[in-house]
Amino acid sequence: MKAWTIIKKEYKQIVKKKSFVISTILTPLMMAAFIFLPMLLTRMGREEKTIEIADFSGIVQEQFIKKSAEDRVVENILKLKFRSTADKYSSQDELVKEYETKIYKKEDVDFPLLPEHKEKILKKEIAGLVIIPGDVQQSRRVYFCALNVSDFGTNEYISATVEKILSEKILTEQNIELKIVEEAIRDVNLGTFKVKKDGTKKRSSGMEYMMSIFMLTILFSILMAYGQLIMRGVIEEKNNRIVEVLISSTNTQSLFYGKIIGIGLAGLTQVALWVLLGVVFLGSTNFDFSKNIAGFLTPELGIYFIIFFVIGYFMYSILFSIVGASVNTDQEAQQFAAPITYLLVIPFIIGIIVTQNPDTPLVVVSSLIPFFTPTLMFMRICVAVPDFSQVLLSIVLSSLFVMFLAYLGAKIFRVGILMYGKKPSIKEIMKWIRYK
Amino acid sequence: MNNDYVLVLKDLIKDFDDKRAVDNFSLRQKKGEILGLLGPNGAGKTTTIRMILNIIAPDSGYIEILGRRFSEKMKNRFGYLPEERGLYRKLKVSEVLSFFGELKGMRKHEIKKRGFKLLQKFALDNYLDKKVEELSKGMAQKLQFIITILHSPELLILDEPFAGLDPLNIELVKNIILEKKREGVTIIFSTHLMEYAEKIVDTVVMINKGRKVLDGSLSDIKSTYGTKFIKIKYEGDAGFVSLLDYVRSIEDYGREMEIELEDMAAKDRLLKALVGKLSLSSFQVTEPSLNNIFIRKANEGEQL
Repeated sequence: MKAWTIIKKEYKQIVKKKSFVISTILTPLMMAAFIFLPMLLTRMGREEKTIEIADFSGIVQEQFIKKSAEDRVVENILKLKFRSTADKYSSQDELVKEYETKIYKKEDVDFPLLPEHKEKILKKEIAGLVIIPGDVQQSRRVYFCALNVSDFGTNEYISATVEKILSEKILTEQNIELKIVEEAIRDVNLGTFKVKKDGTKKRSSGMEYMMSIFMLTILFSILMAYGQLIMRGVIEEKNNRIVEVLISSTNTQSLFYGKIIGIGLAGLTQVALWVLLGVVFLGSTNFDFSKNIAGFLTPELGIYFIIFFVIGYFMYSILFSIVGASVNTDQEAQQFAAPITYLLVIPFIIGIIVTQNPDTPLVVVSSLIPFFTPTLMFMRICVAVPDFSQVLLSIVLSSLFVMFLAYLGAKIFRVGILMYGKKPSIKEIMKWIRYK
Repeated sequence: MNNDYVLVLKDLIKDFDDKRAVDNFSLRQKKGEILGLLGPNGAGKTTTIRMILNIIAPDSGYIEILGRRFSEKMKNRFGYLPEERGLYRKLKVSEVLSFFGELKGMRKHEIKKRGFKLLQKFALDNYLDKKVEELSKGMAQKLQFIITILHSPELLILDEPFAGLDPLNIELVKNIILEKKREGVTIIFSTHLMEYAEKIVDTVVMINKGRKVLDGSLSDIKSTYGTKFIKIKYEGDAGFVSLLDYVRSIEDYGREMEIELEDMAAKDRLLKALVGKLSLSSFQVTEPSLNNIFIRKANEGEQL
């Protein structure tokens, strides 16, 4: 079989490359770095910050400082230190006077921060100022002024702590025992579990999101990398006219499919090696994290990955080889390849909706569009297994589409690969399809 | 069809957009002969070869090859060397041999045996494990020639086989072509370098602007055109020669001149006319070069 000769050659040519070996080892390392680095950075990147509290109610500050000093999360992760700003004034009353007249009337407009406080924050002497109005018990409103107000952890901590202190106060005023009060205001811990046919398993929502983006990225980068490889291979054969020897030795189908299958097998080999590395890594470590991933990567998901990888690979490698056959230089190829890249990027944008709401009509419909099926439908399966009928429909539709593309592709390939000289227009390429 | 003919082309026409690349082209080639497809660049040689190999289809006309219409099966029986050379740069020489050998249906041990023999013949046997990109340009060309003949084809189609080779390698390739002929291989090659063709072809087909301008065995052609040429070596002012009424044309190189006569009978009159006026060191009846014949035929075509 001549196609087999071509499959073998294309496969060996890639697998023997140094870059194949390097990317096989390096990619998982980079992926691991991408996952672990942010976690490390959030821990290491935090500097100790001092936040001052200006308490006009006189009921929050003391408790707040005491509670935060005892809290390990505040000490180790948020690395916050709270202290009273009133210490700097001769008396609390003096401070109250400064603010009192201005502060309550204007809520949503510019905050009337005292100039010396503003100065302190701008000079980074303190990270921020928490202002607790005198009527905090009625208004349940506190203010936080800082250079950076987008740190969820800090914001969340401040409001939750004030909330607790106020609740505690209300309850103790009702002469309820301290023990009961503490019981009443204890944190509630939300555990997330994913419901599936074969059982309900613990999952953290962040994990789910990260893993689906992760898998999508793997799929995307393989489709891009191998698609481009095919494209460049075709351009090489076209430019040095090897293709003429090939066509005079075998038929175009063997050449076209042999090339795509050979390179595809190399891609599968790489994925298999990654899976192997991953299994060894997850098996040898014992983090919660590893268990989480192991729980996420079920054999079922593996099978879906293979299915959508194969469909996606054929779809995009055919598109890329058509581009390769139609153009003469790498530069021309980049122009034609750009729209293909967009097709691969769009699912990332829609993907954000998928994690929030995997069953909205937009997501359902676009995951049935063959171009997006390999990435989007796979992502939907990662997040929440959709109706099997939808999965099946998407596989059938995209497989049919791949067959149609292969038919067109082989025709364009046959004509295009022998066309030298000027860059063809889309109109011309359409004409090639009609050639016998 | 007569089985003596390995290749029969009949009334081939091929248009590219609005340009006619090959116009009503026909030829027949006998088994075991070397046919030279001659013509300037852009004459339609490569297009004709591509049609023979079924790389592109003619718009109309008939092609019979190895005694029948083209089929996928017969692809193992020809060897084709395209005009522009190139090989997979990242593959080793041995890998190139096995890939193309297998593509032509050869078995592994055959490829090894014959491949090594040919590498030796071309002095490439030390490069078996080198990558193509490490070879010099000349070596890569030789390697490409090797893969063209590796599978012992019955029909060799060589598009400009001498292009880009140094004189030593031209000699080498020429000898291999002649050796193949002795083995009974039918060879068709195209070139615009007529002086090389002259030395090895049996039959000549000249093509210009897609049309055949001349066709026949080398000896027939030479005898048709050959006897009317006189070549002289001289010193002196030879301006008067072209004015003689029995001289059809001259090609003056300053100290040498090719003179074409209207009729060979006039050669004595020419000699008499020259003696005394020029100092002659040589006066010789000669065959015209293919180059000369081609230029004349091409010009005739223009005038028609």
